[in-house]
This record gives sequence, C-alpha cells and structure tokens, in this order.
Amino acid sequence: MANLSRFLVRRLATFIPTLIGVTFMTFLIATVVPGNPAKLWAGGEKASPEVVEQIIREYRLDRPLWEQYFFFMYKLLTNTMISPVTSNYVWDMIMERLPVTIQLTLLAFIFIIILGIPLGIISALKRDTIIDAVIRIMALVGLSVPIFWLAYLLIFFFFTKYRIITLAGTPEPPYSITGIPLIDSIIMLDFGTLVDVLKRYTIPAFTLAYPSIGFVARLVRNSFLDAMSGDYVEFMDARGLPPSWKYRHILRNSFIPVITVLGLIFGALLTGAPITETIFGLPGIGKFLLDSINNYDYLGLMGGVLFVGIIYLVVNLIVDITYAIIDPRVRY
Amino acid sequence: MECDPIVEVKDLRVYFYTYAGVVKAIDGVSFKICRGETYCLVGETGCGKSVTSRAITRLIYPPGRIVSGEIYYYPEPGKRVNIMQLSESELRRLRGEEISYIFQDPSAALDPLYVLGYQVGETMLAHKRVKSVKEGMRRAVEVLRTVLMPDPEKRASSYPHELSGGMKQRGVIGISLSNNPKLLIADEPTTALDVTIQAQLMDLLLDLKRERGLTLLLITHNLGLVAEYCDRVAVMYAGNIVEEAPVEELFEKPLHPYTQALIRAVPNPTRRIEKLEHIPGTVPNLVKPPPGCRFHPRCPKAFDRCRVEKPPLKEYSDHHKAACWLYEE
Repeated sequence: MANLSRFLVRRLATFIPTLIGVTFMTFLIATVVPGNPAKLWAGGEKASPEVVEQIIREYRLDRPLWEQYFFFMYKLLTNTMISPVTSNYVWDMIMERLPVTIQLTLLAFIFIIILGIPLGIISALKRDTIIDAVIRIMALVGLSVPIFWLAYLLIFFFFTKYRIITLAGTPEPPYSITGIPLIDSIIMLDFGTLVDVLKRYTIPAFTLAYPSIGFVARLVRNSFLDAMSGDYVEFMDARGLPPSWKYRHILRNSFIPVITVLGLIFGALLTGAPITETIFGLPGIGKFLLDSINNYDYLGLMGGVLFVGIIYLVVNLIVDITYAIIDPRVRY
Repeated sequence: MECDPIVEVKDLRVYFYTYAGVVKAIDGVSFKICRGETYCLVGETGCGKSVTSRAITRLIYPPGRIVSGEIYYYPEPGKRVNIMQLSESELRRLRGEEISYIFQDPSAALDPLYVLGYQVGETMLAHKRVKSVKEGMRRAVEVLRTVLMPDPEKRASSYPHELSGGMKQRGVIGISLSNNPKLLIADEPTTALDVTIQAQLMDLLLDLKRERGLTLLLITHNLGLVAEYCDRVAVMYAGNIVEEAPVEELFEKPLHPYTQALIRAVPNPTRRIEKLEHIPGTVPNLVKPPPGCRFHPRCPKAFDRCRVEKPPLKEYSDHHKAACWLYEE
C-alpha cells in the first residue's frame, strides 16, 4: 500500500507538466495565428475602438506572452475565466456539455463491450472457420468505414425511413440526481425519459463505437489466442481441470492488454467526438471544442484542452492501477 | 523380473495434419511400463518422445491426432482401462488423479496471474480432494512441504514470478502429486533448470517415487540422467522405438547403431578427446520419412534390406529389444 501511495504521488506530479504542456501548446498555436483577437471578440470590423481597448486590457492582450498564459491559466483554474465570445464562464460551458458527452460515452462503451469482446472471443474459439472469417472481415470493415458515411447511412435508415430515432434536442428530465439524464432516469425508473434518451443517443453512440468494436474484437481475438496457446493451458489439461476453469484462466490472461485498450478508448470517448456530435447535432465536448475553434475563442479552447488533458491523464492512471490489480507481475 | 504393467501402448500412431503435409510424428510405437519402475524415453529433439508421453492420456491437440493404436491403463493388477474409449470427463478424472505430468518449463506451466497455492488448491478441488479453493490453498502448504519447498507457507501465497526456477518446478511437482497419482510422467523435468538444481530435483523425484510407490516415466535427452535414474530405457528415433533394454544392458551392449552412436556422442570426462563424436546427417523430415528403417540414411551399417523394409522391434536377448536388420539371420 505504501508502494501504491508513492506511485500515486509520483504519477500525480507528472500531471502538472503534462497539463502545462498541452495548454501552453494550444495557447501558443492560437496566438501565433495572425489576426486581432480583441477586434474579433469585440464584434469584427465594426467594433468600436473603446470596446476593443477594454477587451485588450481585461484579457491583458498587451502583456508579454508568458504573462498572458499565466493569467489565462489562473483564471481558468479558479473558474473566473469568461469566454469573450459567449460571455459565459468557460468551465461552466464545459460542464454544461459534459452530460451529453458522458451519455454518448457510456452508450458507445456499452456497444464496444457487448459487441467487441464476445465477437473477439467467438472468433478466437472458432478460429480459421467461416465464422472467424466473417467476424474478422467485419472488424476490418469497421476499422476502415468513414464515420460520417456510416452516420448518414444510419440516419437515412433509422430517421428518414422508419422514424425510430429523434435528431433534435437533448432529453432533460425534471429531476436531477447525477445531472446525467441516462443515469437519472434509470435510478428513478422513469422509462419514458429513458426511452427518449435512447432514441436520441443510441445511433450516435453506435456510430461512435463502430470503429472501436472492430478494433476491440481483433484485439480480444488475438490476445485470447495468445493466452490459449500458452503452455500453462496444456498443463491445466494435464492436471484435469474442467474446461470452464480453464477458460477463466485464459480469459484473465487475455484481458491484460484488452483492459488497457478499453481504458484508453473510454478516455478518448470522454474527450468528445467532434464529427459524430456535429452530424447528430449533439452539444457535447467535441462540439464545444470545434465551436471554440470556429469562433476564434482560444480561451474556451484552452479550457477544453485542459479538461481533455485531465480526463486523459486520470483515465490513464486508473488503467495503470487496474493493470497492477489484474497482473501481479506489474510493480508500481 | 516379471512385468506387472501399469501402462501398455500398442502400435500407437500420432499424425499432425499441417499445411506442409501429414507429419507422422509417432509411427507404430509399442511399449509397456511396469508398475513401480522408472521407464525412460530417450532421443533427440523432435523424435516424438514428448508426443508419445502425452498420447498416453490423449493429451494431443489439433492439428495432431491419434490415428490408431491401443492404450491401456491398469489402476491395479488385473484391472484394465481402455484409454482410447474414455469420455472427455473420464479422461479429465484420469489426468492429474491417476496419471499426472511434469513439463519441461515450469515458468510456462504455471499461470502467472495466480498464486502457487491457488494452483495447487484448484487441482485438488478439480479432483474433489477438497471442498473449496480456500481449503485447497490451506492444504497446498502441506503439499509444498512434501516437495521440500523452502518456507512453504510463504511460497503458497507467492506468484510464479516471485519464485526461482527450481522452486517453480517444485511447485509443479507439488501440483502434479497433489492428488496422489500412480503414474508420474516427467517430460524433461530438469532441462530448463540450472545444472546445479538438476540433481536436487531428480533426487526429490526419486524419493517421492519410493515413498509413494509411484511409477515414473522419465523423458529426457540426457544420457547421464538415464544412466543414473532409469530402470529400463527405450530409445526413440524419428517416431519409432529403435531399442529397449534394462539400463545396464543398454550401456554395455547397445544393439542398434543409433543407440551406439548416441552413447559415443557423450564425451567421457575422464578421457582426453581430440574431437567430439557426432551422428552425421540430420533428423529426417517426418512428412516424407525415409522408406524402410528410418535411420538408414545416417546409419554406417545400413545395407539393402534397411532401405526397403522397416525392421520390427524384436527381442534379441533377455528383455533386450531392438529394431534392426543387422541381428536378423
């Protein structure tokens, strides 16, 4: 346990330079782009010079770069940074969009797990048969299909043709426990809202999950086969273990790489899905990042990148800890 | 010496159906292992000794298949079990409980994600020697003590990577003996270990064999081990047994030219040698084995008959069998 806390401290310490790195990079790219942000923020060509002057002073745009950066970071971290474009607190804007991303993430992750893992295991157990070939081809197609093409295909089928799904608004129940309608409606056993949420989010989530399903299926297949060909499997047969016990050993061994990848996928999903969110009109983190870029709102963008960075680091840390729990050979 | 067989194998054929063709890994092997003895299978890598030993409990994986042959197991004198006709669940009971194995590489034989005690315990649970894994893990400590594991309480809760090679192999022996089998098949049990630990482990095996009245089938390519520990020896070459004899007899009067060459290839440490002996040529491709005697392309004494007709394994003197046309009138 002492090892674990030392490990945590060490890892948390590495968060700081990483987060500084990503936000500074964003800041630098945004500031070296030619243009006059103050003027843009003030309303473009017709902006009055007083307002431009005020924005420059308020955001310290006349100060040296490093001072601007520290000022922005300070404001972001204390949640006192107001986006000059939307006039809202940056952090609040992110938090407002988070439930959409979380719902998308959860549903997509469920798709990845309930489809990717079983398909991979079936593929491994039936290796070199027609079933295996079909699954492998599907996985390859899944990896290669452009997400926007698939999205419009699904929209055509489920919306235009059969009207099974909805494409506007985000269902909000009147109550709020976790702030995430999907989870709240399950807790409250409010199936009306749950159905609304599913109607809105299932197809975008599936679209988002599609490439990862194929990827996970391939990974599970290969690592399952790897684990199955180990000598210890033969020794388990030689000592007369029942097949179900044997597969438990194999499964646990084959899951070490899978857990890592699933964790990384989860982290990546949480950081938003710009393409999917744009196509389906969902106001999530990905859409927020895109909007910030389009509006030249690099303060919002820095906030978004900081958020994404934190999510990524935390998920990575959790993956590493899980890794050590399932694999005793891993030391902190 | 009258032989009370514990295992009898007749005309065993194991083929591997690979892309390159059908590999006739075991082609007509017959032998008997007598109760209480140490029977050795000797031969070069790839001669089929491991496959033979695994085929005794039908532990052959695709693309391998036991094509033909009879395998009998005698749990006690006069009682015969036809292994070829056992169901999967009967085979599972047999493996580990009646006949158990020790494999070459203990690091690979143990599941790296479970502590040693668990792996001992679950083997006992699988054969209903204990009621729960928990009880199994407690009993594992005693099992590890019998294989002279240092500090067995601590080692039972160690993961395989925390153990040395010798300790791992002791653990594997413990797992194999946890259900008191009657026949122990040790497939190169010391090959993956340091030479210094070899003798320790072999002595342990012999002690356990004596204490428990075990029968031991030892598979090795090390003639030193054969001379030291075996009662009867079968020499395998390219999927056939070419000679079988009591151990002294084999070293004193080897009949088959392959056995003779094999013994000559072992350097004698007491004599100065200019050059190490070796057997010219290579092990034949078992997809298309040479016709007749499979050793004839490398045999210095081969003659016409060897090239066309396969010699049968025949008894030439007391308990001394060989498959060679040289001794045929």
